[in-house]
Amino acid sequence: MAKKELSRQKKFDTRIDFTPMVDMNMLLITFFMLCTTMLKSQTLQITLPTNEEVKQENQQEAKESEAFTVIIDGTSEMKDLNGQQKLVADPSAAKFYYYEGRLNLDELNMEETNMKGNAQGTMRYLLMKKNEAAIKLINKEKEKWQKGEINDSVYQERAKEIRNREDLERPIVMIKPTGRASYSDVVAVLDEMQINNISRFQIETLSKEDSTALEKLGVKLPPPPAQ
Amino acid sequence: MGKVKIKKKETRIDMTAMSDVTVLLLTFFMLTSTFLQKEPVQVITPPSVSEEKVPIEKLVTILVTQNGDKPQIYMELTGTADSTLTTEDLREQALVRVGEKFGVQFTREEVDAFRKQNAFGLPISKMKEWLALPIDERDKVLQQQGAGIPIKMNFDNQNLTEFQVWIQSIYAALQEAGAEEEMDSGKGIAIKADQTTPYSIVEVIMNNLQTIKMNKFTLMTALKTEEE
Repeated sequence: MAKKELSRQKKFDTRIDFTPMVDMNMLLITFFMLCTTMLKSQTLQITLPTNEEVKQENQQEAKESEAFTVIIDGTSEMKDLNGQQKLVADPSAAKFYYYEGRLNLDELNMEETNMKGNAQGTMRYLLMKKNEAAIKLINKEKEKWQKGEINDSVYQERAKEIRNREDLERPIVMIKPTGRASYSDVVAVLDEMQINNISRFQIETLSKEDSTALEKLGVKLPPPPAQ
Repeated sequence: MGKVKIKKKETRIDMTAMSDVTVLLLTFFMLTSTFLQKEPVQVITPPSVSEEKVPIEKLVTILVTQNGDKPQIYMELTGTADSTLTTEDLREQALVRVGEKFGVQFTREEVDAFRKQNAFGLPISKMKEWLALPIDERDKVLQQQGAGIPIKMNFDNQNLTEFQVWIQSIYAALQEAGAEEEMDSGKGIAIKADQTTPYSIVEVIMNNLQTIKMNKFTLMTALKTEEE
């Protein structure tokens, strides 16, 4: 009996079973896929004026016809998040107001606008009208770029040149968020500057006149926090 | 009539090809991945149309959250991609410089612990105590309400807040290595705040940067997905 079994030579399978190897690799891949950041976040570059007081003679008054002021308002409230008290703003409750040129409290030239779409009266429509001259020129370059007449870097350069051309009528946009406006809405307005090719804009704090005008429109602002 | 031979079918599938593919994929992921860094707070950055990418080197990220109606901020540093001033070196340089300004001496162990720390954000007076803690304890301390680098509205550039001292120290360290250009142009400073942060919070950080004449910086955003 025993002898018989010994003589029977076993045929060895030379192929290696790769299934466990694949299993392990799949696990590792899943791990790497979950732990990596493939999508890098984007950035939006802004330049603010310095806080230093500018001497009167160096100060450049914005031309009244060019000035365009956007006021961003919203709501924010204290919320309890995982046992921590945090002041949280609500991006969906944003309200936008604007006025052109100087604020006139008697005639109240401040009006409410919105950010939805580009129909008449929306923020995009208003800004587009203000920057019409530059946008027209840039669109011409864009057409050339789409037809393949000029390459991307040339188009970008020309667009930049047009955005900064002194001889065109370009607006200076003052962005004034109230303290309770959400960060996301401030970014949304900064986005509009990019969309409408506006090169001159700045973020400012709300002035007393602005608050008075807002009050006349029925917006009650909370008192500014003590410094 | 020939005999019908029934072929014995092999039931096992050859996994070699599959294995090849998975190994390739694995290599790809291993080479392209940068690991998600542990951050004290999770933020959802606001959507924007801007397509400019976050730089991968010479970057100061200012992570913003709120403590009640006050900002609570953390910092993350990235050094140069080459060996001029690595991320670890930049962290060390920044810590030592800030320590000097506030008269705090750090031991070698404390500096080494700081070199490995991704995000930080505590008053310099508590830094020594914090660096002595084990690494997972440290993260917990950062998440506590009231942590963060001290910051408040400040228009006086003679009397700086701790946050401003940090920024200036980091700038000085980068300048010494000849890598300050990114910070000058604003690409090297990124504010990372949640979309629901009230502007009053972000305003304090902008104000602090403005006062030390770092009035160029970037805001971290996520690419807008919906098409208008």
